[in-house]
Amino acid sequence: MAKMKKKWIVLCSAAIGVIYASEYVASNFQAYLPQPRTRVGTDMQASGSLYPIGPTSTEGLLNAGNPIPSSSALPEKNGESPNAAANATPSADAPAKSPGSVNKRYNDGTYTGIGSNRRGSIQVAVTVKRDKITDVEISDFAMHYSESDVVDLPDQVLHKQSSQVDNVSGATYSTQAFEDAVADALAQAKIG
Amino acid sequence: MKPKVWLKSPKGNVLLILLAFLGIASAASREWDGVKNALIAVASAVAFDAVCCLIERRKRIFLDGAFITGLIVALILSLTSPWYVVAATVAVSILSKHLLAYRKKPLFNPATFGLLLSVPIFHAQQSWWGAFGDLPVWLLPVVLIGGFWVTNRIQKFPQVFSFAVVYLLALFVLASGILPIHAESLRTGGFYDALRPPFINAALFFAMLMLTDPPTSPAKTADQVLFGVIVGAAGSVIYGLFGGLIYLYIGLLAGNVYQALRFKFSKRPTRAARPEPEIQTHRYLS
Repeated sequence: MAKMKKKWIVLCSAAIGVIYASEYVASNFQAYLPQPRTRVGTDMQASGSLYPIGPTSTEGLLNAGNPIPSSSALPEKNGESPNAAANATPSADAPAKSPGSVNKRYNDGTYTGIGSNRRGSIQVAVTVKRDKITDVEISDFAMHYSESDVVDLPDQVLHKQSSQVDNVSGATYSTQAFEDAVADALAQAKIG
Repeated sequence: MKPKVWLKSPKGNVLLILLAFLGIASAASREWDGVKNALIAVASAVAFDAVCCLIERRKRIFLDGAFITGLIVALILSLTSPWYVVAATVAVSILSKHLLAYRKKPLFNPATFGLLLSVPIFHAQQSWWGAFGDLPVWLLPVVLIGGFWVTNRIQKFPQVFSFAVVYLLALFVLASGILPIHAESLRTGGFYDALRPPFINAALFFAMLMLTDPPTSPAKTADQVLFGVIVGAAGSVIYGLFGGLIYLYIGLLAGNVYQALRFKFSKRPTRAARPEPEIQTHRYLS
């Protein structure tokens, strides 16, 4: 058996601790670099068309001319992964309160929302028209699980007209992140 | 063996540490589904192992290894896993121990093999909740202390250290883009994630409680170092290329393949086919 002397155990442990600490600090810089998840908005703005957004679109093309603003790096919350980062903003030409819409709850337009937890993040683009969710797309999937787990969830949101969807067995973390992302987008759309 | 003596054995130590992790994780999260899953996993593992041993007509049946395999599976599978997924994962683990064996020693780490296959077959979600992956960061030292205790008891520091060094350095090298490997996962936040909970918890739990399984890992220092290097390199490359959560398992199975090949081609006399006394004493996952 490989009996190691205590001196070597302490030295090796310390060396590994130093390597870990160095990489931990270095990784903080990576966290604030623009991530590919921002490309969705940028690409769409450049092309003026939303169809390259991803395979999970529920209604095909959204209205051109409703570019989704690109999101910045995720903000930190108590040193942990951000949760439902509020970086979603209404589309550039989304109308404000339209006249005569006293009971209206949401502004029309396309809104991006992000939901995240320790297993990654999901970004969605939610289109609202006349207080109705007309389209939900998963614009970026950065979870450490399979995207196929949640491809049916946008349809559920359209059907239920709510961010609350059925939990997908074996994909609890992805379901939670998706719900947070939709809720985040709807919070941006909400009037008042 | 008397219970008091057994508890002081490496197997007993591992079992106590795993039970402590189960208790701490359940109490800290105030979530008792994990205990339920553990009971299902352990009962299934012991039952499957007993049946397999009876079919093989073994003269002596030791079920403590199955007990530990069941606990490890329960601590890694998500708390929301249905009971049949837990039982099926354990069944695959135990079957692999009996079917994929060479010279009466399992080729692959049973728990790792079952957990790896549970993803594509049973669509199992793995959260490493027993490594405190969803709990506050200050519980991370508990994983370290428990892991150090076990590693010291079974004298596997060389492979744990070599794994840790290679794993950390490989992640950095792949993330920095020095090598012409398309490690997209690492450059899009994967490197950041790998060094934080729950991934760092998983890596520590894996390195000190799974990698160190005596029947499926080498005993000599040089072999241990090479084993750790293979597992660390394979795991980090898989993580860099594909992301996901099964990279550690694939790394360990790569190490197990190396160990099996080394064992097969080693020039040992036939009588040495029986497990070495110290290995037999320390095996706990089989």
